[in-house]
Amino acid sequence: MGPYDSAISTGSTTSSPSSAAKPSEIDGLLAGAGYKVRSTELHQVAQRLERLETVMVNAPSEISQLASDVLHCNPSDIASWVDSMLFEFNPPVSIPSDLSDFSDLTYIDSVVSPAINQTVCNNSWVEHHTPQQQQQELTHQLTVVTAMEEDSGIRLVHMMMTCAESVQRGDLPMAGSLIEEMQALLTRVNTGCGIGKVARYFIDALNRRVFTPQAPCATGWSNENEILYHHFYEACPYLKFAHFTANQAILEAFDGHDCVHVVDFNLMHGLQWPALIQALALRPGGPPLLRLTGIGPPSPDGRDSLREIGLRLAELARSVNVRFAFRGVAASRLEDVKPWMLQVSPKEAVAINSIMQLHRLLGSGPTRVSAIETVLGWIRSLNPKIVTVVEQEANHNQSEFLDRFTEALYYYSTMFDSLEACSLQPEKAVAEIYIQKEICNVLCCEGSARVERHEPLAKWRNRLGAAGFRPLNLGSNAFKQASMLLTLFSAEGYCVEEHDGCLTLGWHSRPLIAASAWQPLLDTVINHNNLL
Amino acid sequence: MVQLLCRSKFQRGMGHEEKEKKPRFFINDNTDILMEILKRLDGRSLGVAACVCRLWRSVTWNDSLWEHLCFRHVSPPPPGVRPVVVALGGYRRLYMMCLRPVLSRLGQMKRGLGGSGGGDSDLVGRVWTRDSVQLSLSLFCVDYYERLDGRLGDASTSSLMFLCKPVNV
Repeated sequence: MGPYDSAISTGSTTSSPSSAAKPSEIDGLLAGAGYKVRSTELHQVAQRLERLETVMVNAPSEISQLASDVLHCNPSDIASWVDSMLFEFNPPVSIPSDLSDFSDLTYIDSVVSPAINQTVCNNSWVEHHTPQQQQQELTHQLTVVTAMEEDSGIRLVHMMMTCAESVQRGDLPMAGSLIEEMQALLTRVNTGCGIGKVARYFIDALNRRVFTPQAPCATGWSNENEILYHHFYEACPYLKFAHFTANQAILEAFDGHDCVHVVDFNLMHGLQWPALIQALALRPGGPPLLRLTGIGPPSPDGRDSLREIGLRLAELARSVNVRFAFRGVAASRLEDVKPWMLQVSPKEAVAINSIMQLHRLLGSGPTRVSAIETVLGWIRSLNPKIVTVVEQEANHNQSEFLDRFTEALYYYSTMFDSLEACSLQPEKAVAEIYIQKEICNVLCCEGSARVERHEPLAKWRNRLGAAGFRPLNLGSNAFKQASMLLTLFSAEGYCVEEHDGCLTLGWHSRPLIAASAWQPLLDTVINHNNLL
Repeated sequence: MVQLLCRSKFQRGMGHEEKEKKPRFFINDNTDILMEILKRLDGRSLGVAACVCRLWRSVTWNDSLWEHLCFRHVSPPPPGVRPVVVALGGYRRLYMMCLRPVLSRLGQMKRGLGGSGGGDSDLVGRVWTRDSVQLSLSLFCVDYYERLDGRLGDASTSSLMFLCKPVNV
């Protein structure tokens, strides 16, 4: 590590600031090693130590002697020593004589960040470098060792976590400065793939949250969203898995019924239904009369897009000789739909299909009746034969921002990882935009604007169980079909697993999407014979 | 077999100076026998056969040949499939767009587990399970639906494109 090894070797191993400690306490770990650093300043000290290391590694030889010749006046005050070293590397800066008092210091302009005008203002002093000085530093930085790039990815992750934690604490200036540093660091990392790409999106989301919190970021339904959805459908198997698994379950539930009615909570382009229509056409005993009710947002430009999709599906159904009727219900939010709009007839077998829609109902204000309970209530009142629910297998609905951030980072890195294997352009690039919108909604929005409130399968089980539904096993046919579907995709990292009758699709043993089927428990004792 | 037939036609064209006592058999005069022979071929050979001449092309393009190919090893073929498949674009398209890539991809996975290498001829010997045929039909149907209206994304976007890409992990 260099000539300063003995001096700060202990200090530099402290990379996880114990920010949860009482603010005025000296950190215990470092105190044991003989250094006095306040717990609240630990992350700043760690930051500066990292910067010092960078500068010293890259410094021209004549300056690096400073490291060995330096006089360490107060060995326990490591924070001020680091600062003094940092200022040594940048002599023209005027510094106050008293460096040991950090109580009003929240940020020191870094000598390492190239060519960024620090505009972060707070109530303490901030140093602004003139462009010439920054140019000087830049030439020092040009000798950056490429080995640093490997560390840069890990460093980015650490910085993102620190930034998220600052956001959670409400320390927005700190977060802002971290964001600017990270954006600088991004230039040295390959953002085309791997951790660099994920970091780019997450830093962008943090940027939005800190600097433009009022900007709209809701992933509402819209025309543009349909295109993004379609490309996401093409680029990776998650939606195909969802559609095929749900269709298989619905097909089995409809066995023996001649009048069937499917309610789709989010029609989009209706890509799920051709396969069901074809399967119904070929089922032994002939096809039933199929009614499809598609719910979707009202189209902004006056086109009745729901009706157009319905016409196309009707044409398909006509070519394969399936009696078909379509009805579109335009609603901007799922909780605005009332059961009478669906016009369910008591004679028909009903299937409710929700592909990644139920989590949108989980946001609740203090005055609103819980939307999810309302919707689950009227679903139950329709007495469907089956309710197919597909949801993201992630815990993005936690109230603490840091927990949400961490969880989202792991989830979406896995998802981006799986997307690497896709070779279809432009589908892959547009699919990334689709995922990016989700990320932004999870991280940047709050309250009713945050609709991407993903919850894991276990929580959905509890919720649906409490609402009066019992789980149905998806069956071996669905599993076989899902496995076969996955072998068709060129990447070999996908895995289908079965958990208590539900299927999950994941990437390298991390489940990313979960499909399950449900049926309402009847209050009365009367049971139909053909229930699955 | 195909080469044999080609050669017999070639010889017929070249054999003017030879005095033939008995009538030479010319396959192009007996398209029903040609059909019977072609029914037993695999997909790649059918494609080759279609390149021989115009007559052969029209015979080979007969959808019933491809129906026979699709369901040869799935016994019995499910009833009522034919009108559905014909409506969605025909058996030849089903084979070329869906069945062939599905089966070759599934075959590659099996081969990866320690089988022997081979070309298209392996497909003939492979057991085509009902499940893989069902899946192919479903994918075929989605493809038909997407082609119904070009406004669904651009014309190049097809949900079957992922099948055409080679395994590149």
